[in-house]
Amino acid sequence: MSERYDLIVVGAGPAGLTAAIYAARARMKTLVLDESVVGGQVKTTHKVSNYPGFPEDVKGSDLAKAFAAQAERFGARIRRSVEITKHDLAGAVKSFELDEEDVVEAPAVIVATGAKPRELGVPGESKFRGRGISYCATCDGAYFDGKHIHVIGGGNSAVEESLFLTQFARKITIVHQFDHFQAEPVSAQEALDNPKIEVIWDSEPRAFLGEKELQKLRIENVKTKETRELDTDGVFIFVGYVPRTDLVKGLAKMNPWGYVETGEDMSTNVPGLYVAGDIRSKRFRQITTAVADGTIAALAVQKYVKDHAHAKAA
Amino acid sequence: MSAFVKEITQAEYEEQVLRSAEPVVLDFFSTECPPCEALAPKFDAVAEQFAGKARFLKIFRQGNRDLAARLGVSGSPTLVFFKGGAEVGERLSGEDIKRTAIKAQVESMVG
Repeated sequence: MSERYDLIVVGAGPAGLTAAIYAARARMKTLVLDESVVGGQVKTTHKVSNYPGFPEDVKGSDLAKAFAAQAERFGARIRRSVEITKHDLAGAVKSFELDEEDVVEAPAVIVATGAKPRELGVPGESKFRGRGISYCATCDGAYFDGKHIHVIGGGNSAVEESLFLTQFARKITIVHQFDHFQAEPVSAQEALDNPKIEVIWDSEPRAFLGEKELQKLRIENVKTKETRELDTDGVFIFVGYVPRTDLVKGLAKMNPWGYVETGEDMSTNVPGLYVAGDIRSKRFRQITTAVADGTIAALAVQKYVKDHAHAKAA
Repeated sequence: MSAFVKEITQAEYEEQVLRSAEPVVLDFFSTECPPCEALAPKFDAVAEQFAGKARFLKIFRQGNRDLAARLGVSGSPTLVFFKGGAEVGERLSGEDIKRTAIKAQVESMVG
């Protein structure tokens, strides 16, 4: 027995939850699926300063919960910590098997699975994951109380999470591949001024070394080609994101970087299949652009489902 | 937390983990850790599935730093698997721990 919805949204980040708010308010029977708790990347962002409506900074996890509460208030159902064990998104009716048990289906699906932290692909990285290497400062910062840690990257995440980590670590060395930060000037300057933070410019990690736990990090200066090994208590990696496209691989048209191509209404090349948020091919990926995508996708889906129902009746 | 999962402290590690007759899954968790919240219902579900065959334990990392350091656990959540008093298999760590992955590891331990 399968349960039927008007719309199934995959991914409970800003894009997916905004789509759910709009769809549920339009009285569509809406289900949101997420393999984690709500919020997507926002849930592990310690503070958000550029989302309108919050003159003081808002904690990412609080913002995520507020999005979800709003969607649920209008009747959207959110299933958290659920694993999609089978899926079929090609046909007129799209279906998912959940946790090898339930089956749910809908005429329209919005895939808003976003992106996940990019791995460096450097030797030792997977071996030491959870043994000295981390991708989540809010989760693991407290493990490094009084320690000397390294942060890899120089964009907004790397710089802002480094500032957050100063409350735990004794010293933070940022290793960045260029000779300046890509982060917004305000946070970049704050990091440069922070006495706990030092920066090694023009350098990239080449290997993570240790016996059972991470002990050293080998870096190469990309200009001089000189390599050296640094003692470290831990490394946080913030080097961008890769889209989570497992559900639509081989089905939706993608750009050369693996992001999904859409029309202006968030539709893909597959009828009834929409995408929204960071998974989509676009120039800027922000919470504000994700909620915009989610809005547009939900409005387009309303029309699609209505036309589809008419077509069926006719 | 479900009836099939028990929280322990590092003082109980020998007794509950190393001297356990059944295979053990030990979950290091932290507060302020959304991936830990996300894992909890999956961990509970697998624990229920293997009730009586494997032991599912949780340990709060901040309160049990020495054990975490001794086992080299530096991230939450981290699942460590034990059989016959020794660690076995691969640790599962971070945001993307799937219910089917936990199940597969436990199956190989009880099988």
